[in-house]
Amino acid sequence: MAELALKNVVKRFGNYEIIHNASLDVADGEFVVFVGPSGCGKSTLLRMIAGLETISGGEIHIGGTIVNDVEPADRGIAMVFQSYALYPHMTVEENLAFGLRMTGNPKKDTERRVQRVADILQIKELLNRRPRQLSGGQRQRVAIGRAIVREPQVFLFDEPLSNLDAELRVQMRVEIARLHKELGATMIYVTHDQTEAMTLADKIVVLRGGNIEQIGAPLDLYDNPANQFVAGFVGSPKMNFMSGAVIEAQGQTITVALSNQGNVPITLPVENFEPRIGEKVTLGIRPEHFFKAGQGDADLTIKVDVAEHLGNTSYVYANVSSGEQIIIEREESRNESNRDTLTVAIRASNVFLFDNTGNRIR
Amino acid sequence: MQLRNRAAYGFLAPYLLIFAIFWIWPIISSFWMSFQNTRVNPWAFNPGMNWGRLFSDPAFYNALKNTMIILVIQVPVMITLATVIAVLLNSPLLKARGIFRFAFFAPVVVGEVAYAAVFRLMFNLDFGIINKLLNKIGIPSISWFAEAPFAMALLIIAVTWRWAGYNAIIILSGLQSIPEDVYEAATLDRVSKFKQFIYITLPLLRPVILFCVVLSIIGSMQLFTEPFLITNRGGPGGGTETLGLFLYRQGFASLNFGYASAIAYTMAGLAIVISLLNLWLGREPK
Amino acid sequence: MRSQSKSTFIRSVSLHALLIPLAIIWLFPLWMMFIFATMPDYGIFSPGVELLPSTHFFENVSNLQADTNFIRALMISIGVALIYTLLSVLLTSMAGWALARYHFLGKSVVVGIILGTITLPYFVVVIPQFIMVAREFKMANTWAALIVPPLFNSLGVLFMRQSFSMMPAELFDAARVEGVKEWQIFLRIALPLARPTMAALAIILFLASWNNYLWPLLINSRPDMMTAPVALGTLIGLTKVSWGGIMAGAVLLTAPILVIFVLLQRHFIAGIGAGAIK
Repeated sequence: MAELALKNVVKRFGNYEIIHNASLDVADGEFVVFVGPSGCGKSTLLRMIAGLETISGGEIHIGGTIVNDVEPADRGIAMVFQSYALYPHMTVEENLAFGLRMTGNPKKDTERRVQRVADILQIKELLNRRPRQLSGGQRQRVAIGRAIVREPQVFLFDEPLSNLDAELRVQMRVEIARLHKELGATMIYVTHDQTEAMTLADKIVVLRGGNIEQIGAPLDLYDNPANQFVAGFVGSPKMNFMSGAVIEAQGQTITVALSNQGNVPITLPVENFEPRIGEKVTLGIRPEHFFKAGQGDADLTIKVDVAEHLGNTSYVYANVSSGEQIIIEREESRNESNRDTLTVAIRASNVFLFDNTGNRIR
Repeated sequence: MQLRNRAAYGFLAPYLLIFAIFWIWPIISSFWMSFQNTRVNPWAFNPGMNWGRLFSDPAFYNALKNTMIILVIQVPVMITLATVIAVLLNSPLLKARGIFRFAFFAPVVVGEVAYAAVFRLMFNLDFGIINKLLNKIGIPSISWFAEAPFAMALLIIAVTWRWAGYNAIIILSGLQSIPEDVYEAATLDRVSKFKQFIYITLPLLRPVILFCVVLSIIGSMQLFTEPFLITNRGGPGGGTETLGLFLYRQGFASLNFGYASAIAYTMAGLAIVISLLNLWLGREPK
Repeated sequence: MRSQSKSTFIRSVSLHALLIPLAIIWLFPLWMMFIFATMPDYGIFSPGVELLPSTHFFENVSNLQADTNFIRALMISIGVALIYTLLSVLLTSMAGWALARYHFLGKSVVVGIILGTITLPYFVVVIPQFIMVAREFKMANTWAALIVPPLFNSLGVLFMRQSFSMMPAELFDAARVEGVKEWQIFLRIALPLARPTMAALAIILFLASWNNYLWPLLINSRPDMMTAPVALGTLIGLTKVSWGGIMAGAVLLTAPILVIFVLLQRHFIAGIGAGAIK
């Protein structure tokens, strides 16, 4: 097992830089998830760690040594691919053992390792089948098994669950979490699905446009996003953003009018912020932070467009026509949200505030 | 990593060696030779000699004319036939599909020498089966080998027989790549089968047909074995001598390599012009 | 409903009415080749119309053998076609793999030259090839002269490159992460997956070599080193030869390849259809 570090890692294709100075420390045995929208560079970063992409600048350390020029096979890593990348012309057993056999691993040891993996993943009865005879979930298991067989210091997962249907995805997610506990290995996991990130990670790395936006534990990111992007990316349903303008500033409190919600004013305490009157800001508030009218610091009257009832909870989608949709999560009543308009309260203590470049003010 | 890409040179090297020696070098060498007097030892640079002779040589113009006549008649006839065959073979109503496919595709695998021999025998003046059948329906025997227009017609028939199926295979694979739902949508719009063919099938097949046309033109331009064997070395009296045969006579019967190279590059020039024409015709409409 | 099935019936009848005569015309020369090969010379030259086979095939074969050593020529043709096919599939697969799956200096130049020269007429290279092989290497009338120069064929490179570049990249990355060497990845993963493409290519190459006429005619003109088409070609146009023998030779040249065609039609058509993939 090993720790891993990225130091100012840069990736360029020609003159085009797609990873900008990424730095990160991963502790031994930690489960780290790279998350971000497609094209953010998360897969490229993973492939650089694997050694499948060259490193244009900076250093990658695995287990204390610089691996920039080390061949993939010698980095002590194993990788699980999005498409599983099982060799279609080999049986499951041959798939598991192929790498070991090609690199001259002793026969007995190869056999022992394959048996162990088959035990761990409960795929003993599949060993003689070919990939095309397996279901999606079984293929995924074999792909993971092929990584385990190598007994690597670091596991790399490249969107391993994105080809599975919703139900299997949940099942495999739990399985991967169990494996992490059982093997205690360092794992790096790439996904665009924030739910996977939240449920699996010890530490989440949010990427956008080749930059690391924030690194932190799942709930830290949820409670304390560094900027509007992270705030919007983490959490489901998404955080609501409402544009506003500063109409009053008195020392450490400001009052903001919500421009697209009938200019309702709300007064917020701030630190280290010197606003101009009229400055545009964005308020962020999570769907679960709406209360009954009069129970907060400001009341919003909103026009209900659609209400979704999931049984335990309901989601109200409102004010779509204003161009600024609001999603409200309500647990109290199933009927309430069927009215045309609804008045809800928000509390200053729940409100995030961002300036017009997306940086967080409070 | 750099190491991994270096492996590519290892994979490429054996082929590239052969390719350089037997393809690239000859292309250059032949161009160079066309400017040489190769009838003296050692060869002497004389740019006007071969090219000058070429443009004043009646035998060259005869070969060029014959080649062009074959091209202009044979290629359109064959491509039309190939398209018809492909469309008919693609019909879901067709019974005994395997037999029909065999009938049209089998000539593709028949060697030039074998079919040349059969055609010579079939079209023989006195005892050829074709003339016998013509006589049965009241048409007098045709001397296919002694009269130039008939000899040309014979070549065109032979080449069309041999290559129509080849083009039909390519067009058929083009037909099969047209999604079925396009036709289903058209049928729901009450577009007749014939109009579907004209307004859907043909436009979508255009690139494939153009590809076949270019392939056929370049193939027919290099016609050699058929006039060599069927019409007996371009007979009667040079009446079916093609550029390929003319080049063979100059290069390998008279061993005039320089002149033959000039002929070869004339063919190459024509091939390039035709390829460019194809690119131009095949460009996406703006 | 009824009018629809009626119009389908009419279309079906007219389809076959058009296709059957066309198919008969197309099959006719092949049929006649087999008929002629079974007829004695006096039968071929008789005034009647003979459309059914006779019984003189083996007699014709021995006549042919008397005119030229056709059996030996057939053996040379078989040997050359097999060795050529094997070598060419190997070389073009390796080159196609390199061009499909690696980034290296000069790659675009190589691809550019191959694509840019592929439509050049063979006649452009045949003269220098002949001078080189016959005069400089002094290799006329050898097996190598028949096999090696035609290996330049670049269609196979493009064909294999296409096949390799359609395979998912992760498959090869997975092997690399496991420490599998590049040549092992090629041999153990890429080649097995490319088997259908290789089969199609092999058939096309075998056919091309089997039927090749101009190059063997030029380079191996000594009777004991002639390929079968060249040996047969020398008889056409001579006066004192057995035409039944020539036809028997044509059948011996054609029948094996027709059998292969019927058995492996799918690969055959894939190989020819692949010419249209650009």
